[in-house]
Amino acid sequence: MSADTVDVLRHDDEREPDPAFGLQVAFSATVGAAVTVVWVAAGGEDFWPRWVWFGLAVLLVLHLLVRWAVLTPPWPGKALRIGTTVLVVLSIIDVAIWMLTGANDAFWPLWPMIGYGVIAASATAVVHRHRLPGARSQQLIERVDELTRTRSGALDVQAQQLRQIERNLHDGAQVRLVALTMQLGRAEARLEDAGDEATLALVRRARVEASAAIGELRDLARGIAPPVLADRGLAAAAESLGKRAAVPVVVETRLGERPAPVVEAAAYFVVSEALANASKHAASSEVRVSLEQDRRRLVVVVADDGPGGADPLGSGLTGLRRRVEALDGRFAVASEPGVGTSIRAELPCVS
Amino acid sequence: MRVVIVEDHALLREGIVALLREHDVEVVAQAEDPEGLLRVVRGHRPDLAIVDVRLPPTFTDEGLRAAIAAREIHPPLAVLVLSQYVEPVYTAELLSSGGTGGIGYMLKERVGDVRAFMDAVHRVHAGGTALDREVVAELVRGRDESDDCGLDRLTPREREVLGLMAEGRTNAAIAETLVVTGGAVEKHVTNIFQKLGLPVSQGDHRRVLAVLAYLQASG
Repeated sequence: MSADTVDVLRHDDEREPDPAFGLQVAFSATVGAAVTVVWVAAGGEDFWPRWVWFGLAVLLVLHLLVRWAVLTPPWPGKALRIGTTVLVVLSIIDVAIWMLTGANDAFWPLWPMIGYGVIAASATAVVHRHRLPGARSQQLIERVDELTRTRSGALDVQAQQLRQIERNLHDGAQVRLVALTMQLGRAEARLEDAGDEATLALVRRARVEASAAIGELRDLARGIAPPVLADRGLAAAAESLGKRAAVPVVVETRLGERPAPVVEAAAYFVVSEALANASKHAASSEVRVSLEQDRRRLVVVVADDGPGGADPLGSGLTGLRRRVEALDGRFAVASEPGVGTSIRAELPCVS
Repeated sequence: MRVVIVEDHALLREGIVALLREHDVEVVAQAEDPEGLLRVVRGHRPDLAIVDVRLPPTFTDEGLRAAIAAREIHPPLAVLVLSQYVEPVYTAELLSSGGTGGIGYMLKERVGDVRAFMDAVHRVHAGGTALDREVVAELVRGRDESDDCGLDRLTPREREVLGLMAEGRTNAAIAETLVVTGGAVEKHVTNIFQKLGLPVSQGDHRRVLAVLAYLQASG
């Protein structure tokens, strides 16, 4: 169910008071009172103002019925309410005919009204057998709300956990390895003084290995939760990615308040992956990265002027699409051969 | 040389302190957070601060900000920033910070290469520059991208020399690293400055600044 459908359904809940109806009630009351006064002033014979009252009341009932029928969720709940409205209108017409023809006979409109009632009751029964669509829509709305909430909660938790893993790496394994290289370095210095070349070579190789391990951990941590993103936010992180890329990159940002970490991370990885692709495939003369944020969304566009022809179903782009869509975002890739590749991600960022 | 160490991990702090003491460097104070650094700088007026980027309370870039703030309090303070990451954004901030003392920005694991690390400590203390080769590589890459720059006119050897210069090495150190004579290095340096259209400046430090200014010009 798309967000638009939910919006339409929600209309039903938000029944705000109708100012037009209030005006109509006031108008009817005034006219009713006025004609009654005229009737009293004219001597109070045959109570004709009842016709005015009746007409005004019919208009009010029609207004309420139409409003009730129109502000219903779509089929078949709507059909039921419109049908009921038509039957009530028919009943009113019958009663009006009965009154116009003297209102002296037996109340014959009773019989058609019973018929209408039976029709309305059986229609209602049929619709209820289809599990009362109004209530079902309500359930769906609640379910969608719940899923949206829990999913975004889960993603937030995941983003926090990734950040925590990065912290743990930084404060745990990486610190120990750095301490190890320091100690190996000091050992090297002493072996150098002692002139033990063979052991020195071994220790030096051990230190180089430890340094390589630190380098690999650093790349790993950066892939999990880039520190500059957490430290400085999206603009600095995009700038940093641009400087690291193997192609010339122009970064333009128009960002407001920092979005949720999970949204920031998604935007970051869109830029990162797109720049990696541009560096890998495209002999681009320039890649433009644009990050724009307004009150409701963050739009990321990465466009190159390379040869185009990127496969939107490739693993990298599919991964990005999933990441963006998990946040209710939209993801589009345009890659005409000869025109260049443009990747656009739109991420909702209302907290 | 009077040095203050700011590092929140005791294991690393003690390692660096031991290493410095083995090389007869006086460690006047140790601190664990930005507050501590500023207090020591006000109180002891050290020559050099060796600062970890990630410090309490938020463990983001407090160390970097604290180092910049410390130079505002005490402009001659030389600063050697150590980090487990190098960030081009931070390089630019450090190099454009106020103060007159030397500046260094290196990966933490380089401390293990004792001779190079002590070399960097002395260079920064003497008002020079010590940038990690990763920092330089990123600067060169950033500069390389912009067209109409002279970098593609350099020979591979000249590029190597340029990188070492940008790290802050002296001619003698460059000669040692590349296993060539001092005269050969000087010739490369002259060629590089000519090809990049830089004014030949006297003194190692000013030369580094010229190269860095050139590399950073790409933005």
